[in-house]
Amino acid sequence: MKTARKINPLNWAYLGWVWLVILFVLMPLATTVWTAFFSNKILSLPPEGYTAAWFLQAWNLADFRNGFFLSLQVAAGAAALALVVGVPAALAIARNKFRGAELINTILMSPLMIPAIVSGSAIYLFYIEVQIWSEVPLAATFHGLTLAHSLIAIPWVLRLLVASLSGMNPSIEEASLSLGASRTTTFFRITLPLIRPGITAGALFGFIGSFGDLEKSLLLVGPGRITLPIAMVNYLQYRTDPTIMAVATIQILIVAAALIISDRYVRLGRTF
Amino acid sequence: MTDKTSAPQTSKGGRLAVRAGAVRLIPYELTAPALIFVTVMLMLPLFLMLRLSFLRYDAIQMYVEVFTLDNYIKFFKDEFYQSVLWRTLWISAVTTVLCLIGGIGVAYYMARTRSRILQRYLIIAIVLPLFMGNVARTAGWIIILNDGGVANYLLQTFGLTGEPLRLLYTSGAVITGLTSVLLPYMIVTLNSVMHNVDISLEEASLNLGASALTTFRRIVLPLMAPGIFAGSVLCFILSMNAYATPILIGGPKFYMMAPTIYSQMSASMNWPFGSALAFILIGLTMILTIASSVIFNRSSRSSLVR
Repeated sequence: MKTARKINPLNWAYLGWVWLVILFVLMPLATTVWTAFFSNKILSLPPEGYTAAWFLQAWNLADFRNGFFLSLQVAAGAAALALVVGVPAALAIARNKFRGAELINTILMSPLMIPAIVSGSAIYLFYIEVQIWSEVPLAATFHGLTLAHSLIAIPWVLRLLVASLSGMNPSIEEASLSLGASRTTTFFRITLPLIRPGITAGALFGFIGSFGDLEKSLLLVGPGRITLPIAMVNYLQYRTDPTIMAVATIQILIVAAALIISDRYVRLGRTF
Repeated sequence: MTDKTSAPQTSKGGRLAVRAGAVRLIPYELTAPALIFVTVMLMLPLFLMLRLSFLRYDAIQMYVEVFTLDNYIKFFKDEFYQSVLWRTLWISAVTTVLCLIGGIGVAYYMARTRSRILQRYLIIAIVLPLFMGNVARTAGWIIILNDGGVANYLLQTFGLTGEPLRLLYTSGAVITGLTSVLLPYMIVTLNSVMHNVDISLEEASLNLGASALTTFRRIVLPLMAPGIFAGSVLCFILSMNAYATPILIGGPKFYMMAPTIYSQMSASMNWPFGSALAFILIGLTMILTIASSVIFNRSSRSSLVR
């Protein structure tokens, strides 16, 4: 097959096209990282020189620094909450055939399909209603934002965990049970260690999904307490300079690190 | 994207439940927390919003509890909002087609490459932009398409244009940005079906004298069809819902549905009308998705008969 294709000029066209598309996908990220080091304050080509000073400048801007920490906390909370409700659900869905399983799966994956700007506004509306009835403030609070963000994380936890459970050999658990271990012992000593990679990857993806979210948070953040993506959009709408590119570069590095770590636990090539 | 994970293990899980009753977990109790959470945090709010879309707008109280269809009628009377919907539709359609054209080649290449390094790191390279967040991904495109940006610099260096071209704030720029943002979703979805395309079928076709192009068209494409369908639906939905790319690359005067909905909620404070727009968007996307899946199922069944 290979030799038949190699003599064909069509093969070169095919390869060229493939790498062009890959370049097209990666080009914006590469450009971002590159321009973050430009020394000219106004971004224009060719660069006058290179500097790393913009990273410090980005750190000194309160919106970015506070936004970074807020996003970090919200994403961690959201991923944790998604694990609490998502792990049992993933176990049930992956292990059992039951009536309504398909429907339940669809409902749990639906946050991915509803426009985030719509669900964000709907949740805001809901928070206001809750506040009117119970006087519990949720809109514009950290807790409210975290609750809404766990909706972003749940589909990822579910998806990665179900994928990792499906690759697991059930006879190991059966062996443990038939050798006299109780169900609880089997779960904690056998099942949990086996699905830990899936849990780690699911939590990481949920974290990343929440960290980068813009749309869901727009109406839910409080005054003066905005997340990093919102701070970035606010900045980008008025100017495009190396400072914002430095912020984006940091985000790219964090996500890349998280992905390479998850790849160690769950081979991404098989998950996707 | 979602299909891949659910189908195989339900059958495996079923077998497990029969073979070893002891490991069986109680499905409803275990799914209940997640189900309740999503219902309360998403379904209930959406229901409140649907209700709001049928209430009358009031400039002072935001809305009054009077049932009305005015919000929907306003959309059908006002050509501006219809033009927003049409723009969203055609941009999403073009973006989906471009994602498909670009994605098929990459997904096929990823599945068939012999290089272990490429097998492992190409998927990371493709998944990386997927998780970048819309803002960071779009920032790069602003730099590329700016008046003094990379694209104009290259064009001027090669003498293709004297004056910098206006690239940012055009529909072409929005389509470019959206395609780049959504291509990873398409590639990842297609990649998941490529696991099911047996390489020996292609080899058989080539050995029997079919050209590479014929083999691709007659063997690979039909086998990839479910992924092509799922990926296209996903890209179309995500592009209909897009917010960050249109506002950043399209600029404040480029109206697509999601930014328009948000400006109704935040700037105009007309929540009933904003809600109506939201449900027009969700409803239309759902109808198109269901209709296309019916057509897809029918045509794939008839091709089996043939």
